[in-house]
Amino acid sequence: MEQEVITAIRLVPLEHYVILSLLLFSIGIAGVVFRRNTIIILMCLELMFNSVNLLLTAFSAYHSDPRAQVFVFFIMLVAAAEVTVGLAILVMMKRNVDSVDVNQLNRLKW
Amino acid sequence: MSALILISILGVLMLYAGLMAPRKVLAPLGIIGLLAALFLLRSGWNVNTEFFGHMVQFDGFGLVFSEALILLTVLLFVFGVDYYARLHENVAEQYALMLFSLVGAIMLTSYQHLLILFLGIEILSIPLYILAGGKRDSFRSGEAAFKYFVQGSFASGFFLLGIALLYGSCASFDLAVIQAYASAPIPGTEMLFLLGLFFTIAGLSFKVAAVPFHFWSPDVYEGSPTLVTAFMSTVVKTAAFAAFYRLIQYMDLPKALDMMLVVMTWLTLFLGNIVALRQSQFKRLMAYSGIAHTGFLLLAFLGRDPLTPSVLFFYTVTYSIATVGLFVVLTLAKRAAKGDENIRIFKGLFRSSPWLAIVTMLLLLSLAGIPLTAGFVAKYRVFLIGIESGFLKTTAFAVLMALVGIYYYVIVIREAFTPRDKGPQLVVSPLNWLVISFCGIAVMLLGLFPGLLHL
Repeated sequence: MEQEVITAIRLVPLEHYVILSLLLFSIGIAGVVFRRNTIIILMCLELMFNSVNLLLTAFSAYHSDPRAQVFVFFIMLVAAAEVTVGLAILVMMKRNVDSVDVNQLNRLKW
Repeated sequence: MSALILISILGVLMLYAGLMAPRKVLAPLGIIGLLAALFLLRSGWNVNTEFFGHMVQFDGFGLVFSEALILLTVLLFVFGVDYYARLHENVAEQYALMLFSLVGAIMLTSYQHLLILFLGIEILSIPLYILAGGKRDSFRSGEAAFKYFVQGSFASGFFLLGIALLYGSCASFDLAVIQAYASAPIPGTEMLFLLGLFFTIAGLSFKVAAVPFHFWSPDVYEGSPTLVTAFMSTVVKTAAFAAFYRLIQYMDLPKALDMMLVVMTWLTLFLGNIVALRQSQFKRLMAYSGIAHTGFLLLAFLGRDPLTPSVLFFYTVTYSIATVGLFVVLTLAKRAAKGDENIRIFKGLFRSSPWLAIVTMLLLLSLAGIPLTAGFVAKYRVFLIGIESGFLKTTAFAVLMALVGIYYYVIVIREAFTPRDKGPQLVVSPLNWLVISFCGIAVMLLGLFPGLLHL
């Protein structure tokens, strides 16, 4: 069964995985940098983390080495923890200024 | 290792103590626990033990930095007794989060595997995002927390991408394997390796606030509660530097990355010192001074001399001690000035409380690197290592920037010694007095007898 999954992953050349993950990663960066809505920013951060997960899984299949897949679980865990904290901070911000727009955050100079 | 477990359990205990015990016991509980952890670390001295299948290695380097981190946290907890005395709720959580962050910091000093490096950075950062937003009703605190969170996660994303690419080229997360790969790269994967290392170093540079990855630090320093700012600029910075150095210590970096480190050193030295000249808010001044000190520490990195770890240790510890002392004085002065953070709140300090003014002067002189203080010895050693490893121009530039740096520290000293009819009336609790005096005396003693502190 595991072997089948690995063979299936290997049907697609490694370069394609790398390009796809870098593409997803770039979309994540663009979202964080250009979007003004903080919820979208959080989603784009998740996208960055998950594109790395994809990359690690592909490398893992190609190296025939399960360690990277374990790493992926740790990344998911940390990403979940980060988003929890991020949402809590967002709620606090919403209470203070009643908005989720990053343009509100200008009292400290950037 | 047992110290790591003890501190994690101590954090959980602290949360329970917050529910059940009176507030008075919280800080003593934390301090006693940390001292016990210190004792446990001492027993692991010279053993070079490995844990988790070579993923964590407590060697001399890791142990000595861990001890320094624990002692700094103890110092901050003593400061915390008075700092949190006015807070009505959630005091235990503040201490617990600091302990959890310390766990991450200790992991960073002794990792042998990129997974532990990643977890260490995240365990260090996630509690800090919460701590930065510790003043729930303050808009500025929330803004600092949000900025720190978004920029920190953004940097983590790049850092993870770097780890993935490193894994792609070396097929391992083990530090030893990666270091071996750097000396003998497999043809065809050098580009992956180079990019991977680049992103990893960028992620770590973010944590140590090196230019061009420094943009978060002034805002976050200014908005966060002062105790948290002190924690960030001492414990976090020290841990991040230990992690950074551990990564590149035995590695033959590709030429391009060596170049990048040199350019980063120049930029950090220049920007930190020049921008600090025109700051009037004390916390922002400290943030830029922190960036400037990052520049000097990076200079010690460049050569990767066998002596670098001990120089790094001496520098970070003396910098941290001086910084903690100054933030305590700032808190007291800020209270007397009803929340103002401009450096003019120190005006007339010598008239109203001479001892505090003298210690403040000592600490600032140490940060500036004036002879007879610890900061001078630290800077001198960094320059020496820079010259020995052949970075003459960079060292000369660093000396020049150190001279520029003296100016903005002296401005604060001048404020403190300007006579004024009615100086700021600081209320100093005995514990705060103890922390401030300890920092002042330590800085003086280490300047006169640098041999007291060695790796």
